[in-house]
Amino acid sequence: MKALLLIALAAGLSGCASLGNVQPWEKGTLARTEMTFGDGHMFTRFDDHIYTSREASSGGAGVGGGGCGCN
Amino acid sequence: MTSNEDKAPGRGLAASIMTAALMLPGVQAHAETPPANGTITLGYLNYKDSQSGLDRITVHSPSVSITAPVAGVWNIGASVVSDDVSGASPRYHTAISGASHMQDHRTAGDVSATRYFERGTVTAGVAYSNEHDYLSRALSLQGSLESESKNTTWTVGIGHADDHINPVNKIVSNEKKRSTSLLLGVTQVLTTSDIAQLTLTHSQGEGYFSDPYKALDNRPRSRDETTLLARWNHHLASTGGTSRLSYRYYRDSFGVRGHTLGAEYVQPLSQGWTVTPEARLYSQSAASFYYDPLYDAKLGAPFPPGYNGNGYMTADQRLSGFGAVTLGLKVSKQLDKLWSVDVKASVYQQRGSWRLFHEGSPGLDALRAQTVQIAINRQW
Amino acid sequence: MKPISIAMLLAVALGAAPAWALEKGAAAPQFDLQGLEGAVKLAKLQGKVVYVDFWASWCGPCRQSFPWMNEMQAKYGAKGLQIVGVNVDANSADARQFLTTTPARFAIGFDPQGATPRSYGIKGMPSSVLIGPDGKVLLEHSGFREADRAELESKIQNALGAVK
Repeated sequence: MKALLLIALAAGLSGCASLGNVQPWEKGTLARTEMTFGDGHMFTRFDDHIYTSREASSGGAGVGGGGCGCN
Repeated sequence: MTSNEDKAPGRGLAASIMTAALMLPGVQAHAETPPANGTITLGYLNYKDSQSGLDRITVHSPSVSITAPVAGVWNIGASVVSDDVSGASPRYHTAISGASHMQDHRTAGDVSATRYFERGTVTAGVAYSNEHDYLSRALSLQGSLESESKNTTWTVGIGHADDHINPVNKIVSNEKKRSTSLLLGVTQVLTTSDIAQLTLTHSQGEGYFSDPYKALDNRPRSRDETTLLARWNHHLASTGGTSRLSYRYYRDSFGVRGHTLGAEYVQPLSQGWTVTPEARLYSQSAASFYYDPLYDAKLGAPFPPGYNGNGYMTADQRLSGFGAVTLGLKVSKQLDKLWSVDVKASVYQQRGSWRLFHEGSPGLDALRAQTVQIAINRQW
Repeated sequence: MKPISIAMLLAVALGAAPAWALEKGAAAPQFDLQGLEGAVKLAKLQGKVVYVDFWASWCGPCRQSFPWMNEMQAKYGAKGLQIVGVNVDANSADARQFLTTTPARFAIGFDPQGATPRSYGIKGMPSSVLIGPDGKVLLEHSGFREADRAELESKIQNALGAVK
């Protein structure tokens, strides 16, 4: 009986850490394209190229190096 | 754009890769499998800026990119872009006279390969960019690792670029620039509708950083940069839309500190339409060796007061202190199962007086720019 | 009832997913779900080899797995195999939409609350569980790739072979 109560308590506590603890079958919304960060989409590349040509900041989301002649 | 249903369940995501002209395809952090379908995208960018009432630079940039899953565990990506740049930009500050007219053509390409594992990915990429006075080659390697629950993804990346500079005005010849970057990131699922990402990048560069087409431009031969990027995507069940917010902090050894705040809101509508309004706020401090348009009493423009030919200096507006605002709107339509189109228009304005919390650099005319971007996508 | 089953029920009741995946040889948790044509109950399938597949409209590999599952059901149905696709879409309408373009020729049950995947302790999407005729778990598998087809089919064959 004690063993059962301990198992139940452990199981209950593990369910309390709900922030960041999303189950695999609950990830429908997170699967949407707009919810991802993986936007190697052409427009991101165009925008980044323009901004690094007109502003001093660069980078942020990845490494890759390479550049245009926009010293 | 791939539709929702082709994405493996959302997990933490590896950072997408971007710097200047090199754009490796974004790394997808759906670590179990690559996307089920490949995509080919035909894109076009039209960029025009203007200053002091005159048109400055115009860019036409057609581009093709392709991604293809291979053998169920690989994803290959490649893209080619061809920039046609023409117009005039000031030789110093925002001076109209003496502005050098130019016409240039740049071709760039990149290839990357991602291998998917049970709980992670590894991506290797190469990039190449060539114009008549500048050649750039770069390599990168990035890896991601997911936690068992797939709610946390760690990313690490390293990149190296080798540039050769040979300006047409022969101010210098056979100059080089090399840089190495390191990235560390973490992506965390917060709730069923929230995901956030934090990325820290550090870059060290050695070589020629000056702009040979700008008067008296003499910059240090090394540049260390650090960037911290925080992003948060939040889905609103009530509207079916998603807000995508980002904040980036940048600092470098030139003395530049930059803040970028980005916000976009993706709103799906009926019949396969999606609208995405976007706003971006930017603010930067001037580089430590930037000088204002106040010229030496004897020598006149473009010489700074007390000019003696020594020391670092630049009159490049890009290294001045300013703030900038972008407003954009993207409209997308899923035409059928395979085809989709995206069109985006945006306006940009940069002003010294718009620098946040501090004084921006005085005496420079505002810069205005507008862009139109089109992408036609086909899945296969 | 075995202590482990009571613990499982308590874990479900407290809203926590078991920290362990179902062990081989454990009794497969019961389910009683709304299906396309009436209820889908595990209890009713006693004596058959049951292949439970957890799927959702938003899961990419699921689109690849359906034709294969249709093939398996057709090939081994007469030999005692029953495939049950447990849908975990929060909104079942999305699942029905998926089925119009990717039809299922096996039993489908809807579990928008996610109680069944929770009780089975699944670790990824899609996931499949092979249950023997005695109601015990034979294997649990995460994901669906090209390379998995042959392995899964041979496991099904073994399970059916053991029935004889």
